[in-house]
Amino acid sequence: MLAISIGREIFAQLTMNGIFRGASYGLIGVGFALILGVTGRFHFAYGFTYTLAAYLAYTFHFRGTPFGPFSDGFPFIVSGLMAVLVTIVVGVAIEKYVYRPIASGAGATALLAVFVAALGIGIAGQSTIALLWSQQSQGFYDKDQFVKKAGWHIWKVTFENLDVFQFITSLTLIIVFSIVLTKTSLGRQMKATRVNPDLATVIGINANRIYLICFGIGSGFVAVSAFWYGLQYSVNPDMGARPVTTAFVVAFLAGTASSPVRIFMTGIVLSLLEQWSSMFIQTRWTQTLVFVILFGYLINKSAKGTIFSKRIISIVTLQGIRG
Amino acid sequence: MQIWVNYLDQILIYASLALSLNLLLGYAGQVSVAHAAFGAVGGYTLGYLVTAHNVPMIYCVFIGFGFAFVAGGLIALVAMRLSTEYLILLTLAWGYVLLGVFSTIPALGGSFGIISINAEPHLLSFFGWSMQRPTDWLVPIIGLVSVTYAICWRLGESPFGRILKGVREDPVATQSLGKNTFRSQILVFAISSGLAAVAGVFNAGWLGVSTPGVFGFTFSLTVFALVIFGGMANFAGSMLGALVLTSLDPFLRRVIKFDQSKAFLVQVIIYGLLLVILTRVRPQGLIPEGSTIRSILRRKKSEGRTEMINASETAPTFAARAAVAEVSQNNRHTRWEKAEIVLEARGISKSFGGIVAADNLDFVLKRGTITALVGPNGAGKTTVFNLLTGTIAPDSGTVKLLGHDVTGRSLDSSARSGMVRSFQDVRLFQRLTCLDNVLLGVQDQPGEKIRSLFANPRLVSAKEKETHEQAMKWLSFVGMQDFADVPAVSLSYGQTKLVSLARVLSTEAEVLLLDEPASGIDVKWVDNMLELVLAISAEGRTVCIVEHNLRVVRDLADHSYFMELGRITAEGTVDELTSSPRLAQAYFGTV
Repeated sequence: MLAISIGREIFAQLTMNGIFRGASYGLIGVGFALILGVTGRFHFAYGFTYTLAAYLAYTFHFRGTPFGPFSDGFPFIVSGLMAVLVTIVVGVAIEKYVYRPIASGAGATALLAVFVAALGIGIAGQSTIALLWSQQSQGFYDKDQFVKKAGWHIWKVTFENLDVFQFITSLTLIIVFSIVLTKTSLGRQMKATRVNPDLATVIGINANRIYLICFGIGSGFVAVSAFWYGLQYSVNPDMGARPVTTAFVVAFLAGTASSPVRIFMTGIVLSLLEQWSSMFIQTRWTQTLVFVILFGYLINKSAKGTIFSKRIISIVTLQGIRG
Repeated sequence: MQIWVNYLDQILIYASLALSLNLLLGYAGQVSVAHAAFGAVGGYTLGYLVTAHNVPMIYCVFIGFGFAFVAGGLIALVAMRLSTEYLILLTLAWGYVLLGVFSTIPALGGSFGIISINAEPHLLSFFGWSMQRPTDWLVPIIGLVSVTYAICWRLGESPFGRILKGVREDPVATQSLGKNTFRSQILVFAISSGLAAVAGVFNAGWLGVSTPGVFGFTFSLTVFALVIFGGMANFAGSMLGALVLTSLDPFLRRVIKFDQSKAFLVQVIIYGLLLVILTRVRPQGLIPEGSTIRSILRRKKSEGRTEMINASETAPTFAARAAVAEVSQNNRHTRWEKAEIVLEARGISKSFGGIVAADNLDFVLKRGTITALVGPNGAGKTTVFNLLTGTIAPDSGTVKLLGHDVTGRSLDSSARSGMVRSFQDVRLFQRLTCLDNVLLGVQDQPGEKIRSLFANPRLVSAKEKETHEQAMKWLSFVGMQDFADVPAVSLSYGQTKLVSLARVLSTEAEVLLLDEPASGIDVKWVDNMLELVLAISAEGRTVCIVEHNLRVVRDLADHSYFMELGRITAEGTVDELTSSPRLAQAYFGTV
């Protein structure tokens, strides 16, 4: 009886953790899927923009301007908003001044060329952050005490108020974005560009502008996610690698052309699997689980349509092989 | 002295990884961002076997190669049908999984990895040559680079490498020329991974440690950067890339006097910026594909030459062409009736869901004759080619080629059994020269087999000479011999049709299926194309064409089949077909 109730507690706690963390995977995943799906750019520097956003928020709040009224740092909320804005500008600038010229020069090999450039920006950017600040973690919190970190309890499950704030912002952004995508002209233009950029141009959509908007939205999402993460833990130069790589997986598993809600849910499901798995396997293995799931997905995708997969499907569905 | 030799060791180890990655990335076009993870397979093999089982290093080289060879082959199986973005993700995940698993196994030192590999110096030795100081390592590491270079060069710059490049440009077109792309793709991934593991063995031995950090993502990215920087599909470029980029570290630390961590960061920043600038300014890398250091220094610009040829674009001149006697339609048809059946299709059907693309088709192709498939758009003419060559498997029916059942064979196997197709959308290998395009068509090249490349080099080079002569022969036949060294991407549309014809011809296949050979090309070229096709059939080859242009069909075809909505509704000479008002209406609409 005791064992079951402990199990139940752990399960509830892990589920809660999974949903909170999954919301951030989902948000970043939606941003990445939007960029890859619509613009076709494998934005590998996405992890760098994540780290940058957190560092900017930290710096605006703790350092501020060299002189003047904000020499002690900007107010907390202002710092966060400024960080998101600057990150959006950086994301848009990367598309406009790096990816676009490279893609238009590379023709059929644009995907690889853009990926290489993105890789370059990613590693150079991350190292620059490490060089300018330091390779050590920096504590990031609201020194004005406006947003105080607090532990909350429901039944026997513990979490932080920041978890809830993070979840609510992520969910709100996803809902708003879904509405934009389905109900507005801009959203329809985005979807048209995703399906066929050349044809979209023919009917008068400015595809380049849509690309920039996608980079803006994607960078905004990643910045919001990074802001909450930094606040909950700390900021460090490597912080982007893990969540953004997981978000890549989320985007591919859900499909880059899927609806934001579906991608968001995929993020939560993946995160739940990751959390729950720690009841059965050691924690150090759970980190690998996401990639094992991805492997399984890719093997299935690769084998789709081959005799091998037809056999598997026919075995699973207990049917004979046709033809 | 030891410090500088140590740097040299490092450069050479990076170079050997860059070489094997370039074989995979540059030649085969498979993007792998986890090359160092295969190095980790070697590094951990050495670390574990030396520290736990006292196995001498030389055995670890072979065992590490074996492990990574198998792992690479398995990854390649998954990678086979994935597009580039999925491949990037797959290799990324592979790197994380492998190092993640290694760092959870206590026998492999957990997250600390295996340290003090060099605790027992006598194990790190080759044939009594013990390696402790950097200078001791230099000789074996030079050996490593030399062997890696030799293997990669032999594989890349050979008929085998040509297949890899073909797959990189267009896998389906490569298969259509009878090449087993499946085997080459698996093998190149396996060998490249194996070579990476060998470099990993040396890296771990030279460092004395094998840890998740040593073989981490940064290492993979650095090797990736070296290849891009040096130039893809160019091994000299990879050597140069490794030399230039890896020298940054000693430069920053010894000349500018940065401390170790700062030097590392600045170095990575420079790598990153170089990648961005390079893809913008010189996307082909320091030494582009097909160039050598010498040719770059001489500033021999091939682009200039291409422009010159393009400027003087004229219809090709035809040398030594068999004169084709004008034969009247009726004579031709009598000839057709007497000719021997080469290909026989019976009851071929195929439906996609509810759409019937081919409905119980019966037809024959006869030796030395030209058969045409005519009919309105969407009648299923190209589908017939797809069904015959195994691009699509038919639901029912049989195809017999020279009496042998070839139904449902794969594209490459049907090409090898003597039936080769061309494509409506041409599908030349864009970045390869015209000569290379045609070379890929030549069958039975021993140099396509890895075993003969290494075991029988004399046979390979003798055959390669013959292959070149044969390819040039067909290139001259279509009048494109002056364009042998021009990349296909800079040809005009009509020229690509000619080269694709030469490519199909060079397979020496008995049956040629030509998909719209004369469509979309300039009027002045059409006659040339017709002459060529007639000359081919006069040689005794069996030709089948899909064509919209009735003039072309009238001039060429000995026999025609008329197709509508997946069915053959009439056959005979073109005049017979066009004299039927019903068919004319089906073809032209209301007349």
